[in-house]
Amino acid sequence: MAVDNVFLEIMKNRFQAIVGEMGQAIQRTGHTVFIKETADFGSVLVSPGGEIFAAPLNIGVTVLIGTPMDTAIAQVSHYDEGDVLIANDPTSTGAMATHLPDLYVWKPIFVDGEILCFAWTFIHASDVGGKVPGSISPTSADVQQEGLVIPPTKLFKRGELNEEFLQLFLANCRIPEQNWGDLKALIAALNVGEARTKQLVERYGKPAVQDAIDGVLDYSERQARDIVSAIPDGTYHFHDYMEGEQFGVGTIRIQLALTIAGSDIIADFTGTDPQVPAALNIPTHGKRGHWMIVPALVKYFKTANMAITYNSGMVRPIELRIPRQTLLNPDPGAATGVRAATMFRVFDVVCGALAQAIPEEVPAAGSGQGCIVLVSLLDIQSGARKISVVQPLCGGCGGRPAKDGIDGVDFSLGSLRNVPTEALESEMPVLVTHYGLRPDSSGHGEHRGGNGVELKVRIFTPHTMMTARGMERYHFRPWGLNGGTAGTTGFTRLRRPGGEWEEIGQIDLLHLDPGCEVHFGTQGGGGWGRPQRRPLEDVARDVADGLTSPEAAAQAYGVIFLEGEIDEEATRLQRATLFALPDAEPAQFDFGSERLAYEAVWSDDVHAALNAALQEVPATLRHFMRLQLIDAVRQDTDNDGDAAGRIPELLAQIRERLVMGNGSREAARTLVGAAGQ
Amino acid sequence: MSLRLGIDIGGTFTDLVTMDQHSGTISMLKTPSTPGHPSQAVINGIGELVARDQVDPAQISYFVHGTTLALNTVIQRSGALTGLLVTCGFGDILELQRLRLPDPHHFNADRPRALVMRRHVRQIDERLLASGDVYQPIDLQQCVDAARELQRLGVESLAICFLHAYRNPAHEIAAQDAIAAACPDLYLCRSSDVWPQQREYERSLATVINAFVGDRMQRYFASLEGEVSAMGVPAPVLSTKSNGGVMSAASAGRAPVQTLLSGPASGVIGARYVGELAGERRLLTFDMGGTSADIAVIDGQIALSTTNRAGDFPLILPAVDVSSIGAGGGSIVWTDGLGVLKVGPRSAGSAPGPACYGRGGTEATVTDAYVVSGILDPSTFLGGTLPLDAARAFDAVGAIGDQLGLPVVRAAEAVLEVATSNMYAEFVPALAQHGVDPGEFVLLPYGGAGPTHAFMLADEVNLRRVIVPPSPGTLCALGCLVADLRADFVRTIFEETSRVEQHVLDAAFDAVEVEARAWLDDQGIPVDGATYFNTVDMRYKGQSFEIPVELAGLVRDVADLVAAFSERYRAIYGYADPDAATEIINIRGTVVGHVPHPELAQIADGIGAPLPVRARDVRYRGANLSTPVYERAALGAGHAFSGPAIVEQYDSTTFVTPGWDVTVDRFGNLVAEAAEHGRG
Repeated sequence: MAVDNVFLEIMKNRFQAIVGEMGQAIQRTGHTVFIKETADFGSVLVSPGGEIFAAPLNIGVTVLIGTPMDTAIAQVSHYDEGDVLIANDPTSTGAMATHLPDLYVWKPIFVDGEILCFAWTFIHASDVGGKVPGSISPTSADVQQEGLVIPPTKLFKRGELNEEFLQLFLANCRIPEQNWGDLKALIAALNVGEARTKQLVERYGKPAVQDAIDGVLDYSERQARDIVSAIPDGTYHFHDYMEGEQFGVGTIRIQLALTIAGSDIIADFTGTDPQVPAALNIPTHGKRGHWMIVPALVKYFKTANMAITYNSGMVRPIELRIPRQTLLNPDPGAATGVRAATMFRVFDVVCGALAQAIPEEVPAAGSGQGCIVLVSLLDIQSGARKISVVQPLCGGCGGRPAKDGIDGVDFSLGSLRNVPTEALESEMPVLVTHYGLRPDSSGHGEHRGGNGVELKVRIFTPHTMMTARGMERYHFRPWGLNGGTAGTTGFTRLRRPGGEWEEIGQIDLLHLDPGCEVHFGTQGGGGWGRPQRRPLEDVARDVADGLTSPEAAAQAYGVIFLEGEIDEEATRLQRATLFALPDAEPAQFDFGSERLAYEAVWSDDVHAALNAALQEVPATLRHFMRLQLIDAVRQDTDNDGDAAGRIPELLAQIRERLVMGNGSREAARTLVGAAGQ
Repeated sequence: MSLRLGIDIGGTFTDLVTMDQHSGTISMLKTPSTPGHPSQAVINGIGELVARDQVDPAQISYFVHGTTLALNTVIQRSGALTGLLVTCGFGDILELQRLRLPDPHHFNADRPRALVMRRHVRQIDERLLASGDVYQPIDLQQCVDAARELQRLGVESLAICFLHAYRNPAHEIAAQDAIAAACPDLYLCRSSDVWPQQREYERSLATVINAFVGDRMQRYFASLEGEVSAMGVPAPVLSTKSNGGVMSAASAGRAPVQTLLSGPASGVIGARYVGELAGERRLLTFDMGGTSADIAVIDGQIALSTTNRAGDFPLILPAVDVSSIGAGGGSIVWTDGLGVLKVGPRSAGSAPGPACYGRGGTEATVTDAYVVSGILDPSTFLGGTLPLDAARAFDAVGAIGDQLGLPVVRAAEAVLEVATSNMYAEFVPALAQHGVDPGEFVLLPYGGAGPTHAFMLADEVNLRRVIVPPSPGTLCALGCLVADLRADFVRTIFEETSRVEQHVLDAAFDAVEVEARAWLDDQGIPVDGATYFNTVDMRYKGQSFEIPVELAGLVRDVADLVAAFSERYRAIYGYADPDAATEIINIRGTVVGHVPHPELAQIADGIGAPLPVRARDVRYRGANLSTPVYERAALGAGHAFSGPAIVEQYDSTTFVTPGWDVTVDRFGNLVAEAAEHGRG
């Protein structure tokens, strides 16, 4: 039976009701703060083929489109009615799970002895064991440090609780009761999903519901393909960087060739740097439309068609090509805890490539940072440490095709709330002396970027520690687009008692004494379009509102103010000078001088040569050799302008040095992967 | 004779309901609203009552009115040019908001634009600590200079919100006094007075909204009181509140922010009143008008929420908990690029309105589908005062049918099925959010289109009972009449329970109680007794959402609070940890002054079987149903009939779908039970 265009809409709504009700069940009955406060949970319906065919848009995590369930489903050789499955292992679930705290729990829905579909949920558990409380540490080097690894396992068999597994799991968590409470919330949601789906079958009949599952997936795919078809065919190249210095993994390049061919998209990440021994890797298994790679495209689809059906059919047109052992497709066992930081940069890279295809429809780069500042104080009486979130720190979003960027928030952290200063100060003896926008931080353009944020905190107690994980774009600015200028980088400053402010850059862990003050500034987003096209009244508004200084207005826009009003004559003259070549076509991207300086050494050629050379090195040694090579290239000034050509030679030198310095040459050869050379 | 008058000023119509104090007889009237001068519609309405019902204005002894003026002022951003004084370092409190984007799923997302421009925010050198102690004394000269400068820039209203003023209002009071002396024409309000609760963004927002609408509302209430009194009405003017209560016009002028969500609140109050008459205390209200459909859960009590929205903005003042579930009668029907049928979210509203209104709208709407399906009779709509143009409805729905390849009547049926499924998608999760099993609740529809769509919705959701009130279109005005005086007060504690000293708690309990009782005295309205109760907001340590726990009697001891919290937590979440550390966030006090309610008059017994005035074909679930049409006014107590049936009345049309048995109760409610089993 073909699904008609009325029934399709009705069933789409009915599926939506089921996942919404499941989400409410989790929200109401879950126990940990992750459920109650950050709503880091999900509830979806999944087709027998492993695609999400309904996902809520207003409760829980709403970026799950493209989560691949097929491998996880296939891992279970036999399902019975009443089974409930659990898993968190990125490897055996084929990158359905992407880090261990996300517990996925699902249940087959049987109708007439056959699986109609699956009810599916996940919760970010506050702790699943591992080396640190909360299980996530950027410096974790492998997955075992991040907690208990659970391949797909039956939590219930035919409705009977698997007590042995449960006890094993709970014995490995720091907060067993809360985790069990959360799991019960997920099971309650699965049961709701199952009951409602069966009611739907009673109302409309099994064949109709089956057809509708395929129908809504196909519908979403057709809607997405319509959008993709309108994008000019071609291959668009872009790259950007993660700033992994603070974790000792150097600058990491993410490289993309995005091909649009008719209604298909191929995202080829060949050339992306090797996986790193830090928790920044994203496990994707290169799965089609993987949810951590596609958010920029999904947001674009939703922008182009606000009514697009929100399910995994939407990402069917997106093929991923990601070489193994790289940052975006690491080998089994890689640490992945803070893979969200990488997801934010992948977002920028996809936008940069897409912008070349449809420059009038994509925003400039935003802050690109999703960092949470935590403070930990010593309770003098008990000696225990008290930890609290100071603020999530994000900057402005990029200027957009139709309007300015949003001040103080980027799409990456768009669903997070900040912490009221009054609540923070009631909980912790700290004083926030400033929390507001960072004027003059945005990139300039016809539509300026969003301004960043400034936060100043004063410390009163000894032995205070502050951590801020996920700081990014401290070196390379958020890029400007279509003539818009790049935004600004972030900063951290510290003033010790009696001292001066000092720049301390990205931080991992700060030890602070009474009287210390810390000052954070986040990134302003890149500008969009040429500054000379910005309406003068918009410039005047920003100046009146104190977001743009008169100096910046003169410098970037050639607008001169006299006693708060635009001085028309002076402005005319200034603009005539500033925009002497009004019609010159600007470069599409403005990356800022910092990235240009970096790429003067690390050009595309040198980078490609480096990664090619590393391909000869065993994967286990690749990261070590990469850092050695980077050092060698930096010191190798005598290269006759052919830095790329020198890389094989440099690699050979490094190998030789390592081998020479070692007592057992044979063993050393094996170790550095130079055997047979 | 003595009359109570309730008036609800809506966007299109102003509804008036009178109730005879002795007989309980109800009379209602609709008159067009006058948006330019809202009180004019009140005067017009009273004038029409005088003419039609021979009402003597001197008989009006009790007068409550509800208005969406404050809410519309916020939505249309047409309030006073407003300034804001904040603690130095926090000038962007209204820009940053709580960071979160309302809809982060697309590239055009934005946070709502602040009501105060950044240039009209001034930072004041002063600082309190979380304890309320002064860290940096206030510079009052700076406050006065800032206020004068803002006045020069055209600012008419000024809000003051300093950090930790919920704990210690001294700096705000000093600033307000100094500025009031220096700038007497500035409308001033301070956060410690408007709503002294912790969370600086939400508190300053409530204060700013109050300042933004305050001047206009104060003038409105003053002029209304004058005009009504000039007509010879002796009763003082009362205003409805978001919390479901009423207050004096003077109170409303001072705290207009408390009227913001009063419209939906009145409807829910009216629904509970009607439900109780019919012996039902567990209700799902379903208010469907032109632009949206709203629901609320009444489980004996009316639930209040402190996470409400006024236009674009969050509002932490307690308000009746109402959720929007989307489609209204004006929701526009369309097909997307792939030919799939869609209803809403765009609405034709009342202007241009549905195609059948003949006011220039050409796009098909849900109301047009009612006409084509045979549910609405074009000639009797609004008692025949607004005849609908059926041809335009057929044209508009026919165009949709052409796109779907369906004949026009089947297209209309499809439109209603999709509209119902839209509501279903919002309704069912909203019930789950409240932890409600719909099977145990009665659906109570009102609003112009509520009774028209209620049974279609009930069929899908598997509801078993529906009660249609006597005057569904004017239930909000009835709610005005039967609401009590009610006010809420708050003090923030925000401390781990084990560290809270009893005297601190006692001081907070005393403070809210003194304020509450003083408020009631100040209203100047005779009451039939008053109830006072406390609520404490508590949570487990480490959580950031607290739950309100209503306290019995004089419970004030820390240990008793913890026990009450555990019990409440278990009731909501089915789990509690008596040993876990808790925090006390807020102490609240609520006073209710009971206004005597007359008993509603009973209708005459129906004689014999009810007689349909005509019959027409209605298309529903794939069948053409020959459907009898009853006139509501002709139905008497005890009359019974079954669906399919249509009941027409001045302010609404009820469509009873097949499988429902309806009886008319002695108050004129249509009480419907699902007859057969295995429906839906």
